[in-house]
Amino acid sequence: MASVNVKKVFKKYGDVEVVHGIDLEIEDGSFVVLLGPSGCGKSTLLRMIAGLESITSGTVEIAGRRVNDVHPKDRNIAMVFQNYALYAHMKVRDNMSFSLQLAKRPQAEIDEKVAWAAKILNLEPYLDRYPRELSGGQRQRVAMGRAIVRNPAVFLFDEPLSNLDAKLRVQMRTEIKELHERLKTTTVYVTHDQIEAMTMADKIVILRDGVIEQVGTPLEVYDHPTNLFVAEFIGSPAMNLLRGAVVKDGVKVADGTVLPLPAKHKAKAGQKVVYGIRPEHLKPSRKGSKAKVVVVEPTGPEIHIYADLGGQEVCAITDERLVLARDDMIDLSPKLDKIHLFDLESGKALA
Amino acid sequence: MELSRPWQILRDVVAVLVTGLFMFPILWWALTSIKPISAIFDKDRVVFFDFVPTWINYGVTMLGMSRSQLAIDQGIGMGVGGAEAYDSRRSIIDSMVVSVGSTAVTTVIAVLAAYALSRMAFRGRATFLNWVLGQRFMPPIAILIPLVTIYKTAGLRDTDNLYMGYLGLMLIYALINLPIAVLLMKSFFDDVPKDVDEAAMIDGATRIQTFRKVVLPMVKGGVAATAVLCFIFSWTEFLLSLFLTTDIRTVPVKIQTFVTSTGNEWGFIAALGTAAVIPSFIFILLVQRHLVRGLTLGSLKE
Repeated sequence: MASVNVKKVFKKYGDVEVVHGIDLEIEDGSFVVLLGPSGCGKSTLLRMIAGLESITSGTVEIAGRRVNDVHPKDRNIAMVFQNYALYAHMKVRDNMSFSLQLAKRPQAEIDEKVAWAAKILNLEPYLDRYPRELSGGQRQRVAMGRAIVRNPAVFLFDEPLSNLDAKLRVQMRTEIKELHERLKTTTVYVTHDQIEAMTMADKIVILRDGVIEQVGTPLEVYDHPTNLFVAEFIGSPAMNLLRGAVVKDGVKVADGTVLPLPAKHKAKAGQKVVYGIRPEHLKPSRKGSKAKVVVVEPTGPEIHIYADLGGQEVCAITDERLVLARDDMIDLSPKLDKIHLFDLESGKALA
Repeated sequence: MELSRPWQILRDVVAVLVTGLFMFPILWWALTSIKPISAIFDKDRVVFFDFVPTWINYGVTMLGMSRSQLAIDQGIGMGVGGAEAYDSRRSIIDSMVVSVGSTAVTTVIAVLAAYALSRMAFRGRATFLNWVLGQRFMPPIAILIPLVTIYKTAGLRDTDNLYMGYLGLMLIYALINLPIAVLLMKSFFDDVPKDVDEAAMIDGATRIQTFRKVVLPMVKGGVAATAVLCFIFSWTEFLLSLFLTTDIRTVPVKIQTFVTSTGNEWGFIAALGTAAVIPSFIFILLVQRHLVRGLTLGSLKE
């Protein structure tokens, strides 16, 4: 159990700077997800916390201790790798007990810990098998077992679910979250999958090009994205973003359509903005902006309507059982209190 | 792809033919080794199987029997001559000592060097690797004369000290084998993902422990393959052994002495040649189960 503090951390490979000064506080016992597209520096940051990557400048503290120059083995952390990195020549039991054996713990304690971890992870029948005899999900569990037997201060996960199929991924997601609820060990989890981040995190850290774009709880970053990147990255289907200029009673987009704005808004008249509305807040209505249907995708609980609005494709979600075909004209109305406005130039939210 | 029946049969037939083609010289050699001289030197026809097998050739080369005595006992009077010179027991021991020794030296050095080259970033790593490989481009005969002088000066010749002679031969075989061994081992280490090293380090292992307890066991098959290669090279090497030693006679050098001024002793050559296949064969059998590259299977995703 420990907090992790990252202070002004930079990382350079030769002349290329990939992490540009990250400040991040991870509270004791929390589940923090580092989220971002590939190449955003999230894995590098995790590896710097683990000690697998040197820190160019700045400080990483675990449990209040500066660990910049501490060998990974002395940081009291455990890590689960994307490709599991199991020891192929060892049985599951030995894979899990390797760290305890290195630490020269008494055999009784090792057996007890392994049995405990195997029970939590449902690995009891497989303890005497080799990793090659296990399925992907089981291997993933062995990798997790290897991490939990040590009772480390911090768990680090590096995209642990990306090699699993969709169904297993959802299942393991829940398992990892349950494990965290149970052990309450500080966890840092790296992923590029925003659904994983939303469902698992206490706090999401969204990174892009080596800088933090936003930090917040899943709902905070969903409901109040502070910039265009976050707005676009979080949510599926993605938020509709329409370029336009602020006029008297709304935002005028390319083809002259005026999209409504709430009475109170922070934009100045004439300001070039991006008008953001999430698909679930854009509904078919009696009277709204005219749109031409392009594709209709029923998902079961709701219908996703992709339509051409003001020269751009937007997505609207409704749970009404509308019967629509391509080229039908519909009216779409946004929920006024759910509209996001971003400055076109800076990309910042106008809140 | 599933082959249709005729293609399957064709494939099997071709496989058998190709195998037969490659195995034929060995079979012929083995046959020659048990033929009486009259069958080997029949000038009218090629004798395949219609001869009375004899163990004389093995008796003389492998058991140190006197050929004259054997010939007289069996009532064969043709081509009797020579005695001790065909006893090859010492040669087999010499070859064993040198091959096993040089294989051990090469494998240990190659494994350590390859691990470093595979895992550690240091200045000039790529250059070093090319340089290592470059050593192998040089034909041994090009360095032979200076080498003999160097060995003479360094006291590594068996004419000065028999044990130094063994050591000298092991060293030069190790030197010749190292480039290939290092390169081969490096490719095996490269196949083990770096994540495994990192996982071990996070689990609390030092660099040495990571190497010894995690990575090395995962490349066991590679070590075996490398050792086989080194052994076979050392076992069959002729040129360096011929020039660098006098008392020590490795098998290839020994066989060559059977080509004498009074004739080629094909029976003895075949017997020793056939016998010389056996140690390599046993060695390969021993490490065969490690020669499976799939050993790293399971540490990774599918």
